[in-house]
Amino acid sequence: MRLILIIDDEDDIREVAALSLEATAGWDIITASSGAAGILAASDPERRPHAILMDVMMPGMDGPTTFRQMQQNPDIAGIPVLLLTAKVQGVDQRRFAGLGVAGVLFKPFDPLTLAAQISQALGWKD
Amino acid sequence: MTALPSTIFGLLLASMFLLGFLTLRLAARGRQQQRAIERLTEALRRSHEYAEQQKNKLAQRSTLDTAKDEFISTVSHELRTPLTSIRGALGLLSAGVLGSVDAKAQNLLRIASTNTERLIRLINDILDLERMDSGLAPLKLRRCSFYDLAREAVDTMTAMADGAGIALDLTSSAPRDSIYFDADPDRILQVLTNLLSNAIKFSSAGSAVSVQIDSDINSVLLRVVDQGRGIPLDKLEAVFDRFQQVEHADASKKGGTGLGLAICRSIIQQHGGAIWAQPNQSGPGTTLWVQLSRSARASDTAAPSTIEVSARRGEGLVLVCDDDPGIRVVVAEQLRQHGYEILEAGTGEEVLAIAKQRAAKAGAPSSNGRHAPAQPISAILLDLYMPGLGGWETLQQLKASSATSGIPVVILSVIPSTERAQLAGEAQGWVQKPFSENLLLAELERVLRATGGTGQILLVEQDQQLAQAMAGGFQRAGVRVDHACTLQQAVDRCLLGAPDLLILDLVLPDGDGFSLVDWLRRQPALRTLPLVVYTGREISAAEMLRLHLGPTRFLDKAKVPHGEVEALALTMVHQQPNPTAAPVALTA
Repeated sequence: MRLILIIDDEDDIREVAALSLEATAGWDIITASSGAAGILAASDPERRPHAILMDVMMPGMDGPTTFRQMQQNPDIAGIPVLLLTAKVQGVDQRRFAGLGVAGVLFKPFDPLTLAAQISQALGWKD
Repeated sequence: MTALPSTIFGLLLASMFLLGFLTLRLAARGRQQQRAIERLTEALRRSHEYAEQQKNKLAQRSTLDTAKDEFISTVSHELRTPLTSIRGALGLLSAGVLGSVDAKAQNLLRIASTNTERLIRLINDILDLERMDSGLAPLKLRRCSFYDLAREAVDTMTAMADGAGIALDLTSSAPRDSIYFDADPDRILQVLTNLLSNAIKFSSAGSAVSVQIDSDINSVLLRVVDQGRGIPLDKLEAVFDRFQQVEHADASKKGGTGLGLAICRSIIQQHGGAIWAQPNQSGPGTTLWVQLSRSARASDTAAPSTIEVSARRGEGLVLVCDDDPGIRVVVAEQLRQHGYEILEAGTGEEVLAIAKQRAAKAGAPSSNGRHAPAQPISAILLDLYMPGLGGWETLQQLKASSATSGIPVVILSVIPSTERAQLAGEAQGWVQKPFSENLLLAELERVLRATGGTGQILLVEQDQQLAQAMAGGFQRAGVRVDHACTLQQAVDRCLLGAPDLLILDLVLPDGDGFSLVDWLRRQPALRTLPLVVYTGREISAAEMLRLHLGPTRFLDKAKVPHGEVEALALTMVHQQPNPTAAPVALTA
């Protein structure tokens, strides 16, 4: 069973994304509403997520900053991170790609294919 | 008085005279040198000042661009965020993820979903147009196969056509591998898929949509022919305006945004091409035409026009450097056939040695005086990837030495110039491999002309006094200006090579500015020329359209002093990528 951590400051988007992944792929979901809370959630050795889906623009620590912090922590540095962004411009995309994340997905996402997009980005076959 | 003292006196007088004369000569030479030094110092000071001004202007512009970019990016983000929740919630509900929904509710959910999708497309389209209009989406030009792009567009849209029961086919009147042109392939693909999607949407099941491509020596042409309901004559032009659809209900019925064709036109115009709609000659339906110039940087050949252009032969000594002897031989042979003299080099080191040796010999007759001075190198064609000293290092060393820095360099490379902006800035020309003979010749000719001393700004103005005043202003800013008093002079000057900017008065002794613009529009290499129309004549909106070339500005002589026109022209010139522009021509 896959476990996905969703980090987004928008309650509604967390809920919709979680519901979408549970309903279409049957994955388990944990959510966090900020970068800091996300790092804490990912650090729990009992429930280590297989992948992290993280918003880019968040108050406090934004997605890229949170990602860099995660890379400092050897326990969670290996978890693949996908950025979820509403910024679709080329400059933004190139900046994100340069961070070393596993992939960049765009908002608004299609709730019926979000799980498939994640699997494809991470090379998951199941 | 005897003769002797008088002779001595005479000699004394003569030598005093001679001494005075020599002193005067020496003083004069000293003054001349002094003046030359002053002129040089002044020129240097101006060039520094000018560089400083340009740096400031660039900094200001980039701040403005960043602010705009940031705004568009933020608006996009703020609109997308709520839409993400809405789309997600609706999508999950209508897919029945939370249990089945009864038919009436299902219908409402479908309406909400479809309209959410429409809103998302609308936001994307508006942002797209905004980015293009504000110049935030510069074209990434490269040599493309027109057939391959059309094929890709047709393949992409086949699923949609199949779904609608429409037959989609592609035909080409020219051999498929002969139609190459300079374009941003992603953008052109966006246009083609948009046109096909429109054609499919407005055709009924069982009919056909055909794509036909064609080319002539200057341009490529594409037609999308449908058998749909057609566009009324009075709407043929309006369909390219924003939010204009043939029927108001089309937006909701067909799911369009009303911006598709506006985006298409914007992209095609950015490429210097044209797009228009025409009713089919026989039968119902519409034909959408796209015409694009084959070459964005230089015309493959002179355009057919009322003004005769003689077939030009190349002139000058060209040093061809490529580590692949096969390419070297072919290029050398092609250039020789067109009248160039050729030197060959297989490495960057050889290029430097030959260039230095030639530079040292040029100008100075050999010691025994029997040989003519060595012919200087007119241009260097330089491969980028070579073992040993690469093209990049070779170029830098050429530019670093005063003996060779003036030789124009054309890069031959498999990568496009847009991917190596810095390098492209130091080289005067760029040809992407694989290249056609015509492209290579055109680029070489362009570079040779550009460095041959024609002006960067062409001022077409019959008022001599005004022209002199303006030319003086530009010269002080270190920009070369050519002045034409008549239509014919302007045409002759343009035939020598494209200036970076045209300043045009509409009233000319042998015609009007309109006929010049009409002529320029027919020249592939000139139709996107930046233009400043500076005239006392009133111009209507329709006339403004007729006078449009590249970036075009209209200034009224009665309201705008010529100093402001010069300032505007200078900013426009420096927005154009022009690696050959030297800030100050030192003529001591």
